[in-house]
Amino acid sequence: MSKPRVAFFDFACCEGCQLQVANFGEALLDVLKLIDVVEFREVMSEKSNEKYDIAIVEGSITTNHDIERIKKIRNTAKVLIAYGSCATIGGVNGMKNNFPLEKIKKYVYNKDANYFDTIATKAVHQVVKVDYFVHGCPIYQPEFIEVLKSALRGLPYKVPDYSVCVECKLNENECMYDKGITCLGPITRAGCNSWCINNGNICYGCRGMVTNPAKNAQMDVLDKYKIPLDWIKNKINMYNKAGEQAPEEK
Amino acid sequence: MKQFKILEKKDFPQFIKRLSKKHKVVAPVSRGNKSYAFTQVDSSDQIAMKYIPTILPPKKYFMPQRETLAQYNKSKKTFQTVLEFEELVIFGVHTCDLAGIQCLNIVFSDTPKDINYIARKNRILIIGLECNDYCDEYASCKVMDSHHPNGGYDLFFTELKESFIVHVNTLEGEGIIELTGLFKEATSNHLKEREGVIAAKKKIFKDEVDVHYKDLKPMFDKSAGSKVWEDLEKRCLSCGNCTNVCPTCYCFDIIDEINLDLDTGYRIRQWDSCQNEDFAKVAGGESFREERGQRQRHRYMRKFSYPVERYARHFCTGCGRCSRTCMAKINLKETINALAKENR
Repeated sequence: MSKPRVAFFDFACCEGCQLQVANFGEALLDVLKLIDVVEFREVMSEKSNEKYDIAIVEGSITTNHDIERIKKIRNTAKVLIAYGSCATIGGVNGMKNNFPLEKIKKYVYNKDANYFDTIATKAVHQVVKVDYFVHGCPIYQPEFIEVLKSALRGLPYKVPDYSVCVECKLNENECMYDKGITCLGPITRAGCNSWCINNGNICYGCRGMVTNPAKNAQMDVLDKYKIPLDWIKNKINMYNKAGEQAPEEK
Repeated sequence: MKQFKILEKKDFPQFIKRLSKKHKVVAPVSRGNKSYAFTQVDSSDQIAMKYIPTILPPKKYFMPQRETLAQYNKSKKTFQTVLEFEELVIFGVHTCDLAGIQCLNIVFSDTPKDINYIARKNRILIIGLECNDYCDEYASCKVMDSHHPNGGYDLFFTELKESFIVHVNTLEGEGIIELTGLFKEATSNHLKEREGVIAAKKKIFKDEVDVHYKDLKPMFDKSAGSKVWEDLEKRCLSCGNCTNVCPTCYCFDIIDEINLDLDTGYRIRQWDSCQNEDFAKVAGGESFREERGQRQRHRYMRKFSYPVERYARHFCTGCGRCSRTCMAKINLKETINALAKENR
């Protein structure tokens, strides 16, 4: 069986998730035994000439040109994997959607704003069908490999639909709330093995929210720990805005 | 007469030193502000002798969060079971957690026997530690009758003024006494002092809820349509903290994983929780317990009703972990009292 041809693409992003893949270390050798990487801007200059089986896409869709490009990729690839928060939930680029489009364009590009085509930030699946998701900012390497193995075997990959707290408890971390620090673990979907909290940081919610985040209960939590609603809102804002359209210009 | 030994407090550091030279010893160690975790130690300074229940109970040594059960090779068509275990001494297990381990022992020894669990259990020595006072307001160990030892240990330490009086319960426990060579025979004065501690505990520990032990099961059995569950429906986050920290929750998921050669792999089990959204979801997307209130009710029934029917034992040890860890302030004592009030 010939190895599947795999192409990596990027849209609006920091390319940090590509770096995570390039940084797999020893596992990279095993990965390369399974796939034939035909395009990967960050590590090689060869191009796929639009011949590939699996497209692995980083970054969010932020221009009309992006839409055309991702549609073309979708038409070529048999399997499309979105990886990294920008691609899977819009990520930090989604913060743009907090502002009217024209206003934010002017803020960024000033007098040259007219030269730039921009649309509200979208995750990849908001534009084309996505077969697999690897959430996270950046991706959690072991999960990427799990998803790749699923894709190569044609099996579905199930992103956990429970909160980061589950994994965090299993790792026996002291709860951030008990330290007096706000953390998005309770509403963020797991799958990262509570990577950040294991290393002393909080959960920033980069994997997106669980499907049923229990709004009422969240308010009780804020009340118990005396945390203002705005703090949590701001934190959620950082990664989880792409689902919303930009407000109208007033 | 029961076999009691004495370890002078001044000899305690030496005891841990000698014990940890020969065995892997784990004990409660402070983890942050008000959290503790069973962690490997080699010195008595590391051990928190006064601790509230650890984040995870000692069950993590009996059924680890994640463990391999089998390995397979597709091209060779082989499938072999795997037993993972290690020799271990757990020091400082409170009576609530001794009760928790006893519950797990019952479940995993039931037919079909869980060989992976039993292989681990047979290699773990347990040194209990008496609580002379409540750890905090979340505990309800008196009503669950686990505030004093009911067996389930090799050695059991009770703190006296100058020393620990140690009950030797098994041959393996006696082995530790011999190995460390620091223990003396208990005198009648020591025994009297111990009786004093027990008498003092009777005054400190009182039923923590408005229901008698014997009335818990009938009360829960009548509670199916209770408003209390509707209330929990609104308050529960479904973060699963309550079940993951519970010393008697043992639900797990089994997953087949494959190596990067896409040929060999292994079967693992990892802790699962009835509070998780997907726990009772079946093919087609139907979930038997879609509502968080239903899931909470299920959790309580698995403590106060179902195991009583099957094993004649409550599966709540009163350790208070579920209430202590609940982000949304759901409190076991309050839930029981609310149900009791409804019943009146």
